Amino acid sequence: MIKFLFLIVVLALTSVTGCAPGDGFDKSSSDKIVAWHWMTDREDAFTELAEKYKALTGTDVQFELYAPTDAYSEKIKGAAQTKTLPDIFGILADKRIISSFIKAGHVLNLSPYMDMDDGQWEKTFYAKALNVNRFLQGNEFEVSPGIYAVPLDVMNIQMIYNKDLFKKAGLDPENPPKNWAEFLDAGNKLHAAGIQGMVSGWGEIWMIDCLASNYAYNIMGEQKFVDTIKGEASYADQDWIEVFTVFKDMRDNNLLANGIVTMVNKHAEQMFANQRAALAFNGSWCVNVYNGMNPDLNYGVMLPPVYSDKYPMKIWGGAGASLMVSARSKNIDKTIKFLKWLTAKDQQAYLANKTCNLPSNKESLGEIPQALEQFVDDMDSVTHPSNLNVSEFPKVIEARDKGIQSIIIGEKTPEEVALEVQAVKIRELKKQKARK
Amino acid sequence: MQKPIYYKIKKFMLMYSTHILLIIISLSCILPLLWMFSSSLKTQATVFSDMSLFPQNPHWENFYIAWTKGGFGRYFFNSLLYTIVVVSGIVFITSLAAYGISRLKIPGKNVIFYVFLAAMMIPIPGAFVALYVLLNKLGFLNPNTGFPLLDNVIMRLGYILPLINSGLSLGIYMLKTFFDKMPGDLEDSARIDGCSVFGIYWHIALPMAKPAIAVIIIFNTLNVWNEYLLAMLVLTGKSLMPLTRALMVFRGTHITEYPLLMSGMTITVIPIIIIYLMLQKHIIAGITAGAVKG
Repeated sequence: MIKFLFLIVVLALTSVTGCAPGDGFDKSSSDKIVAWHWMTDREDAFTELAEKYKALTGTDVQFELYAPTDAYSEKIKGAAQTKTLPDIFGILADKRIISSFIKAGHVLNLSPYMDMDDGQWEKTFYAKALNVNRFLQGNEFEVSPGIYAVPLDVMNIQMIYNKDLFKKAGLDPENPPKNWAEFLDAGNKLHAAGIQGMVSGWGEIWMIDCLASNYAYNIMGEQKFVDTIKGEASYADQDWIEVFTVFKDMRDNNLLANGIVTMVNKHAEQMFANQRAALAFNGSWCVNVYNGMNPDLNYGVMLPPVYSDKYPMKIWGGAGASLMVSARSKNIDKTIKFLKWLTAKDQQAYLANKTCNLPSNKESLGEIPQALEQFVDDMDSVTHPSNLNVSEFPKVIEARDKGIQSIIIGEKTPEEVALEVQAVKIRELKKQKARK
Repeated sequence: MQKPIYYKIKKFMLMYSTHILLIIISLSCILPLLWMFSSSLKTQATVFSDMSLFPQNPHWENFYIAWTKGGFGRYFFNSLLYTIVVVSGIVFITSLAAYGISRLKIPGKNVIFYVFLAAMMIPIPGAFVALYVLLNKLGFLNPNTGFPLLDNVIMRLGYILPLINSGLSLGIYMLKTFFDKMPGDLEDSARIDGCSVFGIYWHIALPMAKPAIAVIIIFNTLNVWNEYLLAMLVLTGKSLMPLTRALMVFRGTHITEYPLLMSGMTITVIPIIIIYLMLQKHIIAGITAGAVKG
């Protein structure tokens, strides 16, 4: 037993002390730029870019990967509380939480750097991607106006269709449906050919909300959509009933795959990649996913077909991953210089080609894969709830999305859902008034 | 005349139904492992379409790719180090504490014991931010002594100490239950022979508790070997990370490289299976002897 204990103690001491120094202990060194990120698929690309940057400028950049995202967020919270955030980091949360970091003095306002040289840096980005990280004058979060993060890539969510299955169903794969009648007709033709319609992660409710918002913009326009959030227009209005009817129509015309209401997006991606469904409602990240699951998949990208001619179709999108600079960094100038380099044309094209994410730099477009181009083409149609200066009550969003699920499974009618959502809205508005 | 036949049929049916039930339970335990191994031999495309348990064209090179791409060598060493140190620490501290609480007259020992039991209710992830702040204040997160080797040791201790702490409650609980059943006559005999308190613990109590210690070793080895979240929170830089970090390489933000992930997991699980097989006899003895008795 003594020998056993001795062995353990010796092993413990030698192994704890006997390791070569690693790359982690000099985080506080002021010469090195340290970046924390969660993007596991980009680790190799970041490492290569850091090496390239060192060769160019002599500045060391250390990318440290912490994943999964929820654990990364915990680390960021802990580091913020102890004021040990690295030079570059990202916050995976909504604007409300980001604003609390900004107000606590953790995040640098990048506007002065964006404005330099006649706004040259700012002009390289898609304005809509930058807007996700922008706080306007008089914002509800009471944050000083400015841009607080740099978009590393952009994304949007559209409809993707399988060209081979379209052909099999007698549809023209080069001319996907553009209006509602064509879309419903496509659903019926696919059904007749024994092909499942659309798959999507509608079990993760936010994706239903995404498509519902798309059609709300198309049917009533942005102003009325915003007015509804403000409580100045009603969910019981005919336009909202039409938004809910979109889902009833899709169900009635066989456009939705079986089990879509409880489907998680990973499963939906598998189904589409394995050609078990002809349509998918998914984000631009799917290029990466489908490429991994089925490199031979022959697909096209289309905007959701318009329901109404009154207003243009808008899709959700904006910044994908964004990086922030610590306001307490000892290397602010060096860090900004590096971020400018990282978001420049060549580096963005390199990242797009290596990781299949849409570049945030508009100038890189000519050098990206064709599959990504199909998504980038529609960046002008992009919008995002966080770009609006108002936000809907979470309980109303939940009622809206669950109501749509009920319509899809045939439990409720669009009219019933519209009334129910409006009732929740009134209740929430009253609560808000009482709080004030 | 009918009775023996009735009992024979009853015995036969009971035996068969018991065996069928056990086979189903065994399959439910083994199938995920087989599926993991099977997926590790497929490609990213066939992993979703080929449902066979052993693919027609097995890709054995996945293991090599996973090992090199994931940088398993360094992480393997780190995990081995953390497991040995943490499990040794837990066994040493819990056996001393449990013996003290069970056999010695210490004022308030029951209160101490219940405090340890209460600690079992708090999972580490629930205390992440508080733990991060505490470790930072104690200087474990960003040591800057000017001696890189010392900094390295301090950072590793910042991971090892919370892990030891997290294993104490269950260990003390199990060993105390074991020591409580130890006959007092044994201690009296040892005392008559001139044995000190530590001598009784060392020569009598500890050897008797081997089955319970085996259970503690396997439980904690599993915990430490599979641990990742705390490492990610506390450790900075790849060089100090455990084996589970290597698996994250294959889990992308939007896509997971399943065959490589499964190959990596198969590599990761092998040491655990070996340890389990080595300690199997003691674990069963420990459990059946009441080591985990409530």
